[in-house]
This record gives sequence, structure tokens and C-alpha cells, in this order.
Amino acid sequence: MTQAEQYKVQVTDLHKSYGKNEVLTGISLNVKPSEVVCMIGPSGSGKSTFLRCINKLEEANSGQIIVDGHDITDPQTDINKVRENIGMVFQHFNLFPNMSVLDNITLAPIELHKATPEQAKKDALHYLELVGLKDKANVRPQTLSGGQKQRVAIARALAMKPDVMLFDEPTSALDPEMVGDVLQVMKDLANDGMTMIVVTHEMGFAKQVADRVVFFHDGKIREQGTPEEIFTNPQHPDTKSFLDKVLNI
Amino acid sequence: MNTKRWKICGYTFLLMLGIITGILGVHNQQARADEPTYTIATNNTFAPFAIQDSQGTYKGKNPGIEIEMLQQIAQHEHFKYTLKPMSFDGDLQALESGQVDAIMAGMSVTDERKQKYDFSRSYYTSGVVMAVAKDSKITSLSQLKGKVVSSKPGTSAAIYLKKNQAKYGYKIKYFDSSNTMWNDVKIGNTSATFDDEPVIRYGIKQGMPLKVVSKKAIDSQPVAIAFQKDKNLAFQAKVNDGIKWMQKTGRLQKLVDKYTKSNVTNKKTSDTSFLGLIKANRAALLNGLWQTIQLTVIGILCALVFGLILGVLGIMQNKGAQALSSTIIYVFRGLPMIVLAFFIYMGIPNLTGHKIPLFTAGILTLMLDEGAYIGAIVKGGFDAVDQGQWEAARSLGLPYHKALRKVIAPQGLKIMVPSLVNQFIITLKDTSILSAIGVMELTQTGTVIISQNMEGFKMWLIIGMIYVIIITLLTWLSKYIQKRMG
Repeated sequence: MTQAEQYKVQVTDLHKSYGKNEVLTGISLNVKPSEVVCMIGPSGSGKSTFLRCINKLEEANSGQIIVDGHDITDPQTDINKVRENIGMVFQHFNLFPNMSVLDNITLAPIELHKATPEQAKKDALHYLELVGLKDKANVRPQTLSGGQKQRVAIARALAMKPDVMLFDEPTSALDPEMVGDVLQVMKDLANDGMTMIVVTHEMGFAKQVADRVVFFHDGKIREQGTPEEIFTNPQHPDTKSFLDKVLNI
Repeated sequence: MNTKRWKICGYTFLLMLGIITGILGVHNQQARADEPTYTIATNNTFAPFAIQDSQGTYKGKNPGIEIEMLQQIAQHEHFKYTLKPMSFDGDLQALESGQVDAIMAGMSVTDERKQKYDFSRSYYTSGVVMAVAKDSKITSLSQLKGKVVSSKPGTSAAIYLKKNQAKYGYKIKYFDSSNTMWNDVKIGNTSATFDDEPVIRYGIKQGMPLKVVSKKAIDSQPVAIAFQKDKNLAFQAKVNDGIKWMQKTGRLQKLVDKYTKSNVTNKKTSDTSFLGLIKANRAALLNGLWQTIQLTVIGILCALVFGLILGVLGIMQNKGAQALSSTIIYVFRGLPMIVLAFFIYMGIPNLTGHKIPLFTAGILTLMLDEGAYIGAIVKGGFDAVDQGQWEAARSLGLPYHKALRKVIAPQGLKIMVPSLVNQFIITLKDTSILSAIGVMELTQTGTVIISQNMEGFKMWLIIGMIYVIIITLLTWLSKYIQKRMG
């Protein structure tokens, strides 16, 4: 097995700065197929920026990022092709308000000729059923609650049949009673074997679902390990103090 | 549904191109004839030399001394001509840029002008006189210290005033048309006005409440037709022969007498009530209105396409495209529209040697000026769409142009609609600026009508009301569209 096949996502010595402000200072992280990696850490620690580098929404200054065997730091690589296989879910959902829920989901598959309009519609309804919103197919996103919007966003990402899913604080903008539904959908996805990289403040979710928890601090990975290792026996003092703060509220 | 919208945009663009080529084509066809055709600039309100009818043409029964003279000469000397009525200032620029072959506008021959132009044989001798309001106590130049006097820029009256300004200590105000200038004296803004004697006397005969106070015309000078220096020599010869023939046969004197001796006037409207004025000038007003609407609609369509291109360039990731867009927007937003209009109509032909038809020049002006504003609106509208929309669309693998077309543009357009509607209304009003280069739109129609009936107040009120009515209709329409889009 070559390295590329062994890992879905392979990041080596990633650096990223905005002007003089260094946000990521040499991050390396490999993610295996079907692995669920949760990234935790204080705000401003660089975890979201790191996630956004993986599908090139942010451009790295140096380092290498290989997704599915494609080196996306190579300017020759067609980033649009690679993005087709990386689903992304945003904190603020970013549904397209100018089209119905169904059109939100079928837009990319149809435009990128992944499916005929009929097939795309069938798929969309399937994914909507998966996230429990089949009856909302024809409404505008504006009429949905936050939790519903986020589940539609997940269905939209899934409709491209991605290999990897990136979640950028998917429950941070939700009312507390909406969080459970979204996390449930994510759990189901994880159980189905989806490779997932999740930036989250939901420690409970990380504990239950993650194969590995990565702790970010000051643009570096301070510590990583199984949920048990990180949550019950953190080694680094920064990890300890962070967990003290978030778990003892 | 979205594809439909884009298709409509595409068709509109094609239609617009078609219209422009149509206009250009029609213009080219005018040149085809066995007899040579010359373009001659005239002064639109220079009675009794040239008297426009209410349609802005010289087809009336008494079109003026020069117009009738030219008709006879052309017949006798076998040539054809097109007349371009403009302000005198515009005439000079048009001749210099080669837009026209000659100026026939009661133009006096001066030494200074002789160096720049060739002149025909003189057909009239005219001098400048001073006129004041009927009830004014001013009778001579020495009473004008500190007062405001007026003339038309570039005329011999203007040259005279400039020369003697230090001596008498007046301030000079310039006007583009005699009529506006006289009205300014009538309402008391200007103390005295200086104009060519036959012109001002004709105006007084027409009912302008002024009086001539000069005992004798100042600076009497021969009047002749001006040509570009050393060009069109065949045409020059024909005109000179024609004038000589008219003088020899007494035809010219007969014409002059017709306009200065007897009480010749273009039939005046006896009914000067609002309804009467509207009725009498209905055809002219409708013509002007139609021209204004055509300019507005075609202008805004061209401006939309141009603005859309500028806006899209402005939000591209390519730094060069962004710089290009912002430079174009900066330049055309910065230029006053009247300067742009003069530059396109007079300046470009100077550089390229190709004439630009009036209507096309008008549309180009609107396209560049309003397009720059629309470009800024479009860029602003696209920028106002949440960045997250771009990220969501791109993260799905949609390439830039598809993300723009399917996700960003529809949302951005919705944000832009109120500003675009506003720009549409501004465009409608801005078409009036094109009267400066002689486009017979609503405002210019008003100027011409007033030069005949002297009903400045009522006519401008009527013209103003017409503008307000169309703008009100437009506003309703746009509200309806916005409601449906919302």
C-alpha cells in the first residue's frame, strides 16, 4: 500500500500567515479512510484555518496537502475536481437563499454533470430523508430553523458523494435544542464509514464519535490521541487548562 | 429560470448591437447619390438666417434667409446637402473636427477667423447691436459699469465685448442660444445683450420685449459661409458661383427683403394657454419625447451590458482585471457627461477622421457614463453578497464562473435592483445633456419651440411636467418589478 492510498488526507509541515500574523506554524496531520478526527482548541488557535486549507478555501504559504492522492498545493492540480470529493459544512450553513432546498442540493451535481436532473432529484430526496427533512424539499431555506438548515447543508454536501467531509463548527450557531439533531446526523455518517474532520466545541460529540482528538493551540498541534487519552489523561499543560475551562462550566 | 434570465440578457445585447449597426448602416446609405452631398452646420435659433419649425427641421414655409438661399444655390449648382442645427460653438467644433463640411450660421468674417477657415463670398453685412429690456433706462455702453452683459460664445459680439471689457467694466455672461440669452435680459438677470442686428430685430418683431439702443451697428462685418481651410475646394467654388448668381439676379436681395422688410413670421400660436401650447406643439413634443425614450432605453441597455462587464471584471480574482475595471469606472464617473459627449461627437472624429452619427454619439456617451455608474453598482452588489455564499459554492466544486452565475449573480442582482432603478431614472434625465451636441430630444425640442413662440415659462413647465410624468410611470413600474422579485 502506498502512502497516498493509506491516507485520505495527508498534510505535511503546513504554514499559513496573514501578513505578519502566523496562524499555522508547521502542522502535519494524516487522516486514514473512515477515520473521524475532531479538532478542538481555543478560538484563534488555527483549527478552522487548517480545515479551510484542506479544500483550498485558504491558500497555504508552504507545506504540502494531499487529498485522495491529489497534491492541492501544486498549482497544476484542478482544485475544482478535488473539491468535488471534499464535502464541507459551515458554521453559518451558507445555504443559497435564491433557490429551494431541493435546488440547493441538486445544483452542483447537475452543473458538474455528476447526475441527470432526474437522478439528482432522486438522490437529493434520498439525502433529505437521511437527515429527516424530506418534506422540506420545496421550501426556501429562509423558512427553516437553524438545525434544519444545517441538516440541509449536510445533505447538500453529501449529494456530491464525497470521500471526505469537513465540518467547521457545525453546531456553534445553533440554539441548544437544535444541536442534538445535527450531531445525530453526523454520528450516523461516522457509523457509515465516512472520513470526517470536525472542528468542534462539542466535547461530548468528540468523546463519543471521534477516533482521534487533536488539540490545537497557537497555530500548532499541542497534543493528539484517542478521546480517552485526551479527555481523561491530557499530557500538555495547555490541553489541561483548556479542558478545565470547557468542561467545568 | 435562471438560464432564461441570462438568455434574455443575451438577446437584449444582440438586439442592441443590431440597432446600433442599423443606425450606422442607415447613415452610410445617405451618401449614395449621383450628386455630391455636403453636410452643413447651422445655428438652430438664428432667425432670420435660419428658422427651425417645431419639429426641429427647416421644412417650414419661412425657413430663413440662409436656408432659402442654400436651397436655390444647391438647385442651381447641382449638389445635395444635409443640415445639422447646433449651437454656434458646436458648429465651430464640428467644422474643426470634420463632422461637417461647412458652417452657414450668419458667421461674420474676421481676420482671426480667416486664418482658421476659408470663407465664401459674403452674402450679407451684419453688425452687433446692444439691446436692453423694454423698460430699461440704459442707453449706452458707458452705463454698464459693474453690470452683467451677455453674448453667445465665439460670436463677433463676444469678441467685441471681450475687447472692450476693460474700457467699460462690465461682466460678460455667455449663452448658447439667442433666445435663452434674451429671456435672461427680459427677467432682469442681465442688463444688456449683444447680438447680430438682424437676429435681435427679428426676435423683437416676434414679441421679445427688448429694445435696441445702439444708434448704429458696431463692427459691421461681412457674413459668409465658412469651410475647412484648403478642403472641399469644389464645394467652395460651387457655393461662390451660387452666391454670385443670386446677387447678380437680385434673388438674394428679394430674400433679405422678405425677412427684414415685411412682417414675415412663422405663424405664431394665438392660443398661449397651456392646452393651446401643448396642442400647437403636440407633434414636436411627441417627437422629442420619443427620442428621449429611445435614448434612455437603448442607452440604459448598452450601459447595463457595459456596467455588467465592468462589475464582473471588478470582482475577479485577477488583479489586472480589477485595476482595469476600477480605472474605467474612475475615468468615466469623473468626466462630466457634457465633456464626454463633446469628446465623442467632436473629439474622436478629429483623431480618426471618421464621422460619428449624432444618435450613435449620444448612445455611446450614455453607455460610457451611465455604464461606469452601473459598473460600480454591480461591483458593489456582488461584493455585498455574503462571502460564505462563494465559499459554499466553491467548496461543492463549482468553478468560479458557475458559482458567479448560479449563486452570486442572482443574489447580487436582487441587492442592486433599487440602485439600478435609480440609475435608470438618472439616465432618463441625463439624456437632456445630449441637447448640447444637438440631439433633438425633449429638452432641445423645448429650446427650439421657445425660440419660435417666446413662451419660456409655460413651455419649460410643460417640458418639466412631461419628465415628471415619465419618471413617475417608471417608478411605478420598478416598484411593481421589485415586488414581484421580492
